[in-house]
Amino acid sequence: MRVLKILMVFLLSVTLCFTFGMSSSMAAGSVKVGIVLPLTGAQAKFGEVEKLSFDLALEEINAAGGINGKKLELLIEDDTGRPEVGRSVVEKLITKDKVVMLGGGYSSSVTYAVAGVCQQNAMPFLVNTGSADKITTSGWDWIYRLNPPASHYADAVESLLVATIKPKSVAILHENSLFGTSGAKAFEKTCNNLGIKVLLKQGYEHGGIDYRPVLTQIKRLNPDIIYMVSYIMDASLLMKQSREMKLTPKMFIGGAGGFTLPEFVENAGKASDKVISATLWHQVLPFPGAMDYYNKFVAKYNRDTEYHGAEAYAACYVIADVLKRAKSFGNTDIKKALSETDLMTVFGQVKFGTWGKMINQNKADTYVVQWIDGKLEMVWPEKASTKKFEYPVDWLKVWGY
Amino acid sequence: MDVLIQTLVAGVLIGGIYCLIGIGMSLIMGVMGIINLAHGQLMMVAMYITFVLSSYMHVDPYFSLIVAMPALFLLGCFLQKYLLNPLMKIDSILPENQVLMTVGIGMVLAEICRFIFTSDYKTVQTSYGGEAFFIGNISFNLPMCIAFIFAIVITLALFWFLAKTDTGRSIRATAQDKEAATLMGVNSTRITIITFGLGSALVASAGSLLIPIFYLFPDIGGPFTLKAFVICILGGLGSTVGAIFGGLTLGIAESLGATYVGMGYKEMVGFVIFVIALVFLPGGLVGIKRLIKS
Repeated sequence: MRVLKILMVFLLSVTLCFTFGMSSSMAAGSVKVGIVLPLTGAQAKFGEVEKLSFDLALEEINAAGGINGKKLELLIEDDTGRPEVGRSVVEKLITKDKVVMLGGGYSSSVTYAVAGVCQQNAMPFLVNTGSADKITTSGWDWIYRLNPPASHYADAVESLLVATIKPKSVAILHENSLFGTSGAKAFEKTCNNLGIKVLLKQGYEHGGIDYRPVLTQIKRLNPDIIYMVSYIMDASLLMKQSREMKLTPKMFIGGAGGFTLPEFVENAGKASDKVISATLWHQVLPFPGAMDYYNKFVAKYNRDTEYHGAEAYAACYVIADVLKRAKSFGNTDIKKALSETDLMTVFGQVKFGTWGKMINQNKADTYVVQWIDGKLEMVWPEKASTKKFEYPVDWLKVWGY
Repeated sequence: MDVLIQTLVAGVLIGGIYCLIGIGMSLIMGVMGIINLAHGQLMMVAMYITFVLSSYMHVDPYFSLIVAMPALFLLGCFLQKYLLNPLMKIDSILPENQVLMTVGIGMVLAEICRFIFTSDYKTVQTSYGGEAFFIGNISFNLPMCIAFIFAIVITLALFWFLAKTDTGRSIRATAQDKEAATLMGVNSTRITIITFGLGSALVASAGSLLIPIFYLFPDIGGPFTLKAFVICILGGLGSTVGAIFGGLTLGIAESLGATYVGMGYKEMVGFVIFVIALVFLPGGLVGIKRLIKS
C-alpha cells in the first residue's frame, strides 16, 4: 500500500513539473488567443469554414512577423453548438490556458452564454458571427462585435423592397432559435414601418421533415413575399416543398443563415434558383483583399467560402492588429486597444462604437444576393452589384413545370 | 377545406413512415419487454448504408432496401446475441440494465458514424426527389407516396410472417407468455435474437425510405427514438397493430398541430398526446378495443 502511495505521489509530481514546464516554455514565444467555434454537431459546417479562415489568416500573420516578433497562437475549441459546452470550454481557455483574449462565437445562443462568462472574468471577447442583438445590448463592456446585429441583417433587403418589389403583404417563417427569432422580429418591425402587412409570423422547430402544413397555410394567405430565417437544411427543404406545392409569391427572401451557402443550391436544386437572400459579404465587394481572400481560400482548401469565412478571416486580422497595438497583454490594455481599433479588412472598415442600444458594435453594411443559374450573384445595392436583379420571376417556368 | 385535406394528406403520408419506425420498436418491446432506446440510431445506420450505396455506387435508395434491411437484421441479431442476452442471463442484474445497454449502443453507433462521416449534413439527390403530382389542389409528394406504399407492403409482409410461419408463431407465442412458450419447446433465446434483428430491419426500411425526402447526420437518431417511443405508448406497449394506429395518429396529429396551432408547437402536440395517452389510456389504442370487449 505504502509503495503504491509513494509511486502515486512521484507520478503526480512528475506530471505537474512537466505541465508547468511546458506551459511556461510555450508562453515565452507566443501570444495565446482562444477561439470558440462549433466544430462538431449540427453547425459544424459553418464552424469549419470559420476555422479554416482563421488558420489561413494566422499563417499569413505569423509569416509576416507575428505580433511584434512573437508568434500568434490560436487555441481553437469546439463548443459543439451547445451553450453549456461553450461555457465550459471558455472557462477552460481562461483559467487553464490563460489566453489573453477570446475570438470566434458562431451561434447566437452559444455566443450569448460565452459572452456572459467573458464579462464576469473581464476577458476581452471579439465576436465575429453570433448576431442576436442582446449580445451587445446587455451592457457588457468586455464584448466587442465585428458583424452587424441580427436586427440589421435585413437593412439592404428593406431598401430593395422599397425600390423594386413594393410588396403589400408578407409571411415570415423562422426557426425557433435566438438568431431566428430576433431576425424575424426585426423584419416584422421593418414591415410595420414600411406599411407592409404581416399576414403570418411563425416559428418552427429546426430539423422538421414536413413543412407542407405551414406552406399550405401560406398559400391560402397568398402573400407578396415570403421571408425565411433558416439554416441550411431547413432552407433547402422549405424551398423544395414550396416548389412542390406551386407556392408562387412575388419573391422568396432568405434572411441570411443557410440561403447563401453552396450546399443550398446543391440540395434544393431547381427550387433554389432566383431566390434572394440578405448577406453580409461577397467576394466582389470593393474591399482591399476581399477577392484575394476568396481566391486563396479556394486554392488552398479546394472548396467554396462565404461571408462567415470572411468574418473569421477579418476577425483574425483585427485580433493581430489589437495585440500589436496593446501596451501589454493585460486585459485592460487589450480592451483599450480594441476600443481604438480602426482597421480596413476584407470585411470592410472595423471600428467599434456605441450606437442605438448597442455597445462596442462595429457598423457594417449588408447586401442582397440572388441565385442566378446556380451562381450566387450580388444584386443590391446597385453600385456593388455583379448582375442585374432578376425580377419579376416566373416561378413555374424557373422550376421547370 | 383545401388546407384541411392537404394537412391530412401530409399527416397520413408521414404517418406511414412513423408506422414502420414504431412497429420495429413495438415488436422488440412485446417479445423482450425492454425498450430499445437505440432504435433511432439503428435507423441512422441504415440511412448511412443507403447514402453510401447511392452516392458511391449509384444504387437507387429504394433498391438499397435490399441491402440495408438484411444488414441491419444482422446487426440487430449481433447486438441481441452478444450484448443484450448476456445481461438477461445474470439474475443479479436488474432488467433495466438492458435498457441502459441500448442507450449505450445508440451512443456508440452515433459516434462511430460521426467518426467515419463527420458531422456534416448529407443528402442523396435523386431525379424524383422534388417531384409532386396534384389531385385537384392537393399536392402529393412522389417519394412520400412511394414510401407510404412501401410501408404498407412491408407491414403486410410482416403480418404474413407473424401469422403464417413457424418462426412468426413462435415470436407471437413468446410475446404472449415467455414461460409457457419455452415449456412448449420454443427456443426463446433464438426468438429474441430474431426479433431484435427483425425490429432493426423494419426501422432500417424506414431509414432508406426517408433518404429521398430528408437529410442525415449522426445525431438524427435521437428524435426518431423518441417518436418511436411515443408511437409505442400510443399504440399500447408491444402491440404491432397498435403501432400502426399509433404511427398514423402521431403523423396526423403533428400535421394538424402544425397547421392549426403553430409549426413551432408541432413536437409539443406529439408529447401532449403522449401524456394524455398515459393518463387516460394506459393500455394505448389497443386498450380501447379491450375496453369495448369487456
